[in-house]
Amino acid sequence: MANALEHYVNNVRTLSQQGNLAQLCEFISHSYEVLSRNASHLDNVLGTFDLQHHSLGVLGILCVKYSLPNIPDFEVLYLQTEEFITACNGEQVRYATDSFAELCHKLTNNLVDRKQPLRGISLLAKAINKIQLSPSQLTSIHADLCQMCLLSKCMKPALPFLDVDITDISKEGGLYDARHFLQYYYYGGMIYLALKKLDRALYFFEIAVTTPSMAVSHIMLESYKKYLLVALILHGKIPSLPKYTSHVVVKYIKPLVQPYNDLATAYATNQPTELRNMVTKHQDIYNRDNNMGLVKQCVTSIFKKNIQRLTKTFMTLSLTDMANRVQLAGPREAEKYVLHMIEDGEIFATINQRDGMVSFHDNPEKFNSVGMFLKIDEEIQKCISLDAKLRDMDREISVNPHFVMKVGISSLLSNWYNLDCFQFTEFWNAW
Amino acid sequence: MQVDGVQEENDNVEVAHHLVENTNLDLETYAGSYRGLAKLHRLLFVAEHCPPLRVEALRMALSHVMTTYNSNMYQEIHKSLQDAITGRQSILPDTLVGIVHNVPSLDTQWIESTAKKAALKLEKLDTDLKNYKSNSIKESIRRGHDDLGDHYLDCGDLSNALKCYSRARDYCTSAKHVVNMCLNVIKVSVYLQNWSHVLSYVNKAESTPQVSEQLNKDSGQAVVTRLKCAAGLAELATKKYKSAAKYFLQANFDHCEFPELISANNVAMYGALCALASFDRQELQKHVISSSSFKLFLELEPQLRDILHQFYDSKYASCLKLLHQIKDNLLLDLYLAPHVSALYTQIRNRALCQYFSPYASADMNRMASAFNTTVSALEDELMLLILDGQINARIDSHNKILYAKNDDQRNSTFEKSVAMGVDYQRRSKALILRSAMWTNQIHVKSPPREGGQGGEMSLAPGNAASARN
Repeated sequence: MANALEHYVNNVRTLSQQGNLAQLCEFISHSYEVLSRNASHLDNVLGTFDLQHHSLGVLGILCVKYSLPNIPDFEVLYLQTEEFITACNGEQVRYATDSFAELCHKLTNNLVDRKQPLRGISLLAKAINKIQLSPSQLTSIHADLCQMCLLSKCMKPALPFLDVDITDISKEGGLYDARHFLQYYYYGGMIYLALKKLDRALYFFEIAVTTPSMAVSHIMLESYKKYLLVALILHGKIPSLPKYTSHVVVKYIKPLVQPYNDLATAYATNQPTELRNMVTKHQDIYNRDNNMGLVKQCVTSIFKKNIQRLTKTFMTLSLTDMANRVQLAGPREAEKYVLHMIEDGEIFATINQRDGMVSFHDNPEKFNSVGMFLKIDEEIQKCISLDAKLRDMDREISVNPHFVMKVGISSLLSNWYNLDCFQFTEFWNAW
Repeated sequence: MQVDGVQEENDNVEVAHHLVENTNLDLETYAGSYRGLAKLHRLLFVAEHCPPLRVEALRMALSHVMTTYNSNMYQEIHKSLQDAITGRQSILPDTLVGIVHNVPSLDTQWIESTAKKAALKLEKLDTDLKNYKSNSIKESIRRGHDDLGDHYLDCGDLSNALKCYSRARDYCTSAKHVVNMCLNVIKVSVYLQNWSHVLSYVNKAESTPQVSEQLNKDSGQAVVTRLKCAAGLAELATKKYKSAAKYFLQANFDHCEFPELISANNVAMYGALCALASFDRQELQKHVISSSSFKLFLELEPQLRDILHQFYDSKYASCLKLLHQIKDNLLLDLYLAPHVSALYTQIRNRALCQYFSPYASADMNRMASAFNTTVSALEDELMLLILDGQINARIDSHNKILYAKNDDQRNSTFEKSVAMGVDYQRRSKALILRSAMWTNQIHVKSPPREGGQGGEMSLAPGNAASARN
């Protein structure tokens, strides 16, 4: 027994020293069974390793410890994990991204079970930074981090990761699954929702909904529900999904969310009473889906949308008239809405309290200030860099020997100008 | 809003089943301008929607149906006539009982003999057609089919009539025959209210080479007018008022003889209303008011002519008043009735737009009096038009003044371009992410049967949900 462990220790030491890390990884993955049989001695073995030099060996042991049927002393294990994630050698660990991610998932599950999600947040953030090749690489740990943040209602720590636009996805030894991806975008969308960044939330839900799929995923279904609600709150209507949306969404998911479609139809009538009726009708379903809060925001937003419509047609309007037109309870409530909307910059108006009139103004932004030009310039720069990125990707694919072989030089030349990035990626996928 | 809302509601009910009480329709002349099934359909429509004229209309329909082989229709009409009269008897004073007793009894003998005659004729025509076919003389076969179609039509069997008429198609040898066949099919299709069929056959007829050549000759003109009328009718029925107006305006007065479908009065009525509802001022002037051929049509309907002129002269109050006066008559028209309210709203909206177009600001009090309405009702109408983008203006509800709005092109361009930029960024990012997805082969697969994955998948939202609480 001791022999087997000794063998493990020796092998880890020599292979780490030689820098033969790929072989080491393979060795470790084969020794899981041996290690788990000697569970009681693992802490001793752990003592013999140096975190910096033998990161992979430590990782292997920690993984085994987490996979034991019942973890004897979680606090010790938590400390060991924390120590490991803080001090491990990133270069070594990147040889075993799969085990590393596995470790994080297990840590997450354990913390969730123990209802201590707050403890995992900073640790996972560190873990992500350690394992990422670039800040825009998505790993499966991202989803765990988001889950922790949501559970502990502490959203901000996830923001630095969520705000980065992903350009690359870590393979993690082929273990990276669509589930992680969907979870990340679903949880991310919810975090943005909690922080009231509706635009970004909508984007995240859209990505979740448009993920290529051959089957109905519950995460996609829930995302789609939230997508509809957020779109209503933000735009007042349901935007059409991009062309590349999987047919599964249209065929199977749309019919499953009938109460939400009904809500959108009721919203389109611009009649708050209609919307309210629909909400009462499907109340149970919304409550069951835990979407009632969003539904209520929809109801508020329809009043705002109606007031915004009024600004297009009126220059002045009395608060009483306004209350009648948008079916609010009275001038007082109308005043409250208008006040909030003015504060949020959603409309441009002034209230004359003396005779109870609201005068609507045009957008005071004349696009001639320095600040505005700076802002526009920033936007342009962003577009340019995106364009450059697309061009790079395009070039990368077009010089890829597989691609050239597949397409053939002649058709490549003739199609050169007609292919866009998406088609290139489809070719990519085709091999 | 209130006043308008109620009105609209009434209109909607009317479309479903409107009843017209006051009308100055002269049934005799009205019915006189149609022949065949068109006459029957129109009389029955009037009977259904106009109680005061019901008995008279049904009586006329009954006497007309006796001249055909249509025994089913006879029975139906007779039954409804009887119903109408007995229904009336209870409310009407004794003076009318004399007329009431005039109900012709159900002529069973006629029904039997007609049925027999019809069957005999059918048999004869059938054997004739068979003979022709065995002799394979194309022209005779075509005629046989046509005769059979005519007979079916006479019996009221529309679907068989359509079949026979369209079968004649294979035996058409000259362009004239093709056109003839098309006209027959169009006629039956109109009776069947199969409008897409009507339009396709109109196209077919118009594309036959000789029709366009004959355009200048009299017979050609008659055919073209018929085709235009049928097409206009089809466009009207499918609510494409503008193209309907264009078709009706192309009709030629001297050759407008199509009593199986439409009278010259109808052409004037349909054409003028559709044009009012859909044409702008220049088009109205050019194609309707100063059109020499359509002027002749308008002479038949002096009221409509007045309406058109008043509309063009911007006398909207009297124009709308006149329109209201003729509304009841229009509602008794088989093809126009479902569209009257839509057409009226469009005409009114157009009038509002035209009224305001030359002004930079307009006093809404005066505008309301010009349109026979109250200021608040006008405000609501204007609001809808502004939201719809038909009037570019803003309402000063405090001073009751309507101001024309001048857009700042520069600002709106800036706004648009910024929005476009944001949209571009969003889409490009999604695309880059998507390419990363493809390279990593991320897609949702169905979980292996009874595998743990499905369970996990359904767990995930559950976790998330608990997180939200």
